[in-house]
Amino acid sequence: MNLPLPPALRRLMAVLYPNRLWLAAGAALALLAALAAIGLMAVSGWFISAMALAGASGAAINYYTPAAAIRAFAILRSGGRYGERVVTHDATLRGLAGLRSWLFRRLIPLAPVRLSALRSADLFARLRADIDALEHFYLAVLVPAAVALVSVAAGLLLCLIVLPAAAPALLLGALSAGVLLPAWMQRRAAADAGQAVLEAAELRGMLLDAIRGHAELLAWGGVAAHSAHVDALAARLDARRTRVDLLQGVTGGLVGLLAQLTLLGVLALGLTAVHGGSLAPPLLVMLSLLTLASFEVIAPLSEALAQWRGTLASARRVFELADASPAFVEPDMSPALPPAPAVVFENARLRYTEDVPWALDGVDLSLAPGARVAVVGPSGAGKSSLLAALLKFYPLQSGRVWFGGRPVEALQGDALRRHVAVIAQETVLFNLSLLDNLLLAAPEADAGRIERAVRLAQLEPFVASLPEGYDTVLGEAGARVSGGEARRIAIARALLQDAPVLVLDEPTEGLDTRTARDLYAALDAAARNRTLLLITHRLSGLAQLVDEVVVMDAGRVVERLPVKDYLAYERIA
Amino acid sequence: MRSTGSDATPEQLRAGTSAADAAAWLRGEIRRVREPLLRATLLSGLLALALVAQAWLLSGILAAALFAHEPPARLWPQWLGLLLLAVLRFGLNVAARHTAFGAAQRLTGSLRARLLRGAQGLGPYGLRAQASGDLITRLVDGMDAVLAYLARYLPQLGNAVLVPLLLAIFVFPADWVSGLILLATAPLIPLFMVLVGRAAGGASERRYAQLTRLGAVFIEALGGLVTLRQLGAAERFARRLDGESEQYRALTMQVLRVAFLSALVLEFFATVSIALVAVLIGFRLLWGDMHFRAGLFVLLLAPEFYLPLRALGGLRHTRMDAVAAAQHLSALDAAPSADRRSLASLVPPPAPREVPPEIRLEHVGYAHAGRGAGLRDCSLVLHARRVTALVGATGAGKSTLLNLLLGFAAPDSGRICVDGRDLAALDPAQWRAGVAWVPQQAHVFEGTVRDNLLLAAPHADAAALRRAADASGLTAVLARHARGWETPLGERGSGLSGGELQRLTLARALLREEARVWLLDEPTAHLDAASARTVETVIRAAAATRTVVLVAHRLSAVRSADWVAVLHHGRLIEQGTPLELAEAGGAYAALLEAEQS
Repeated sequence: MNLPLPPALRRLMAVLYPNRLWLAAGAALALLAALAAIGLMAVSGWFISAMALAGASGAAINYYTPAAAIRAFAILRSGGRYGERVVTHDATLRGLAGLRSWLFRRLIPLAPVRLSALRSADLFARLRADIDALEHFYLAVLVPAAVALVSVAAGLLLCLIVLPAAAPALLLGALSAGVLLPAWMQRRAAADAGQAVLEAAELRGMLLDAIRGHAELLAWGGVAAHSAHVDALAARLDARRTRVDLLQGVTGGLVGLLAQLTLLGVLALGLTAVHGGSLAPPLLVMLSLLTLASFEVIAPLSEALAQWRGTLASARRVFELADASPAFVEPDMSPALPPAPAVVFENARLRYTEDVPWALDGVDLSLAPGARVAVVGPSGAGKSSLLAALLKFYPLQSGRVWFGGRPVEALQGDALRRHVAVIAQETVLFNLSLLDNLLLAAPEADAGRIERAVRLAQLEPFVASLPEGYDTVLGEAGARVSGGEARRIAIARALLQDAPVLVLDEPTEGLDTRTARDLYAALDAAARNRTLLLITHRLSGLAQLVDEVVVMDAGRVVERLPVKDYLAYERIA
Repeated sequence: MRSTGSDATPEQLRAGTSAADAAAWLRGEIRRVREPLLRATLLSGLLALALVAQAWLLSGILAAALFAHEPPARLWPQWLGLLLLAVLRFGLNVAARHTAFGAAQRLTGSLRARLLRGAQGLGPYGLRAQASGDLITRLVDGMDAVLAYLARYLPQLGNAVLVPLLLAIFVFPADWVSGLILLATAPLIPLFMVLVGRAAGGASERRYAQLTRLGAVFIEALGGLVTLRQLGAAERFARRLDGESEQYRALTMQVLRVAFLSALVLEFFATVSIALVAVLIGFRLLWGDMHFRAGLFVLLLAPEFYLPLRALGGLRHTRMDAVAAAQHLSALDAAPSADRRSLASLVPPPAPREVPPEIRLEHVGYAHAGRGAGLRDCSLVLHARRVTALVGATGAGKSTLLNLLLGFAAPDSGRICVDGRDLAALDPAQWRAGVAWVPQQAHVFEGTVRDNLLLAAPHADAAALRRAADASGLTAVLARHARGWETPLGERGSGLSGGELQRLTLARALLREEARVWLLDEPTAHLDAASARTVETVIRAAAATRTVVLVAHRLSAVRSADWVAVLHHGRLIEQGTPLELAEAGGAYAALLEAEQS
């Protein structure tokens, strides 16, 4: 998946396209300001030379026009610069906001299949830092390049009219400073700038390890060693950045040097022309100042291009991520489902990658509407993969999952998942208020429905204990919520979702016996009048929830028997 | 660790210090790079002098050639001078920039290292109260803001003071009228900048807060993407992201508009002054009151006079960003250290320990800063060569007890004695070196399975790794993954199931074969019955030469323990052998009955 450079660039342009009017307006204002600045210097130079010559020779001179031009250029330059800055930055931020959301929406269908290999710290770095780096593209590459191109062309045109002999010198100087030098520097900085982006992402990951894994590092005596790794990586990254900055400094200095050399060339040619009488002296002064002003437009180019590779690397990573094909192509329409759908696995085979054994190896399992079935088996038996296949999170390699008489591929994922509520051992809580966390499952739920769900989930004491009740914001990763409370929130969510099929995935894992037992009534309430699929490696305490037990091992269904028989069998074993 | 002022509370740590404190903290840090920054400013001063010489030579050449009609070739010393000055300016430019950037880079590098140590100094408990995404944003993005301030803004500030002064000194003798215009307009520029900047300060703080929140929303949206999809809420969350991004844009534009307005004021004054200088020079040239050379010389220098001030205006938001970032960074710098003991007072535990120690808790009490009961007046003996099981409901204080034994926090009252020595007086690193720990929720580090295991014993050989993997059941897990020991693990162990992760955590602890103290927080969680029995056998065997503390939710794991302590709301309500307690009809018996029902 190595995107060649131009496509990455084209994609970037395509993403920026909706904001093209803003972007073009910004560039136009930038050009206006730049031309006004060049004009101001050029006219001023011409003006004072002409005035001095007129003064020396006693000739009459029309000074109203140039004085007015100077004033006009002064106002255009100030106003243009302000307008340019406001418009270009606003346009960039608009584009960035759009790009972030666009990317996030592209990622939604990729979870969890295509995203599982990416660490979330890396993903985070990609989304945020890479997109920030793309900001660079318009503001510091596209706009300055456009401005430099047009301004220098205008300067060259003027030079051709006034003193054709000096045009090659100006062209040579501008090309060297605006194209050759940036290209040279860009190639020199490429390795460091590109690598710096990767290392910055790595640094974020290692800092996350240092902070989230601090207790373990302390216990294992690894704090110093890990910190040394972090420091070494940071030092490497800093050294790269210093090298890139030095290169930028050198290039900036060389552009200045080229400006001086070009000025000397123009002056030498111009003075010869003046001496030969083919050029009016004020025009030479104008040309000299024009040369200097032109290089001020060229100077930002090399700075910008030092980051060019880094920007491209970011663009490529963003688009690679966005272009990963989702595990499923969603159908355009989703057929209506019966109110009590049956769930049938038919010779289902699934494995996550080529080099691991089958997680599901020909599973046949049917749940009639209203069935209450537990799936038990050792870890790695394929229990969780059943759920992944049912929720259409992972595609089967062969076989079928039927839901309400339709193969899941024929159903839109979101429509399917609306019909399946899940209470898992790990409840993800978001840094939102308790109410918003509950409403994730059913945004349209009214107060009555919420209170009913909370009551059935036995969450009322928890709500009462919160300082701001439903409006209390739950901390990062549910910091202020205990395991039992988190599971009750999940139960309340499931009740709100009001789906015909309920899946309990290790619902009491990690809870002590008493908390687990207290949870039972809430689970029982959630399971009432629904098809229940209980996934667990230990049935103890939950046996009353189900009527039947399916034993799985190594991706296959070994046995299906009534719960009483299973318990009797287990006692003997 | 350095500390400025009083210690910050967890809330202050999250919210940051006041802008004034942050600015003071930043000034303190700047003092460390004052010398190189002054050197960079000095180089810029030399650069300005070279510029003056250049303008003088250039105006000389033009005046001589245009008005004295000298042939250009006769002016070769001036030409040569211009060439040399151009080369000199190149050198000075590069040197000034590199000096400032290098110094800034070094300072932020050491600052980042120091603040990471500061964050870690909060200890496992203190860190739990902080959002880790937020901390990382501070350490990476916040540091970049400070770097930009040090490397760009501060040198430019020096230039803005020094360069106009230097140029004015040369403009005055050439033309005092222009000199007066320049000097009269120059102070207006910083004045306006200060006025405008005051108004922008608050907006910048809000922008930084919004940036931090945006980062947090992203990380949690990604972390919970599967849950969001399962709930059908992903699109709604995307819309929330839209809202947050839009808010960020609005706030950024608020800051930038003010910054650009100040730039506009600068630009306007500079441009009008240059135009005024040019027009006045023009008329005096026309009237013959002035030499062309002096006029051109002043006209060439006039834009350069305003350039540093204008550049400073363009960097204005750099300073605002840095102060806003410093509010969060300085709070981290003032973070209270969890470990207040001085290293000098600590004594090493009796090492090397071949014999497992007896650990005695004497009236131990510990209160959490936030929710949770902590521990109250717990007295308990953890005998050597025994398995002591801690049972009780979630939040009863079992994990707190383990954390105290690990030395992550010190008891508020009472003490913990290891073979008669107070744990608080032992060197914690050396004490932990003899402890193997299975945490309740293990963090999986970036790296391979092997890397994650070697964390506990960096020098373990292949045979030791194999033994640990066999005993924990990790060997079977490795067999399922094609890359075996080299299987890369991501954050939260992506690629491993809950049971597999538990085996990894167990293997990590078992690798510490020399550890005489085992602290096991639910070692058989996530395991099926058969695997759990294997692990229980390993623990039983290990207890012959160790002191084992076992936290268990399931009583099946407890039945084989030598001693059971029941915790309830931080109090030790019952202890004895499993058999005694089962027959006593107390809390343990009730738990037992609950599990069997």
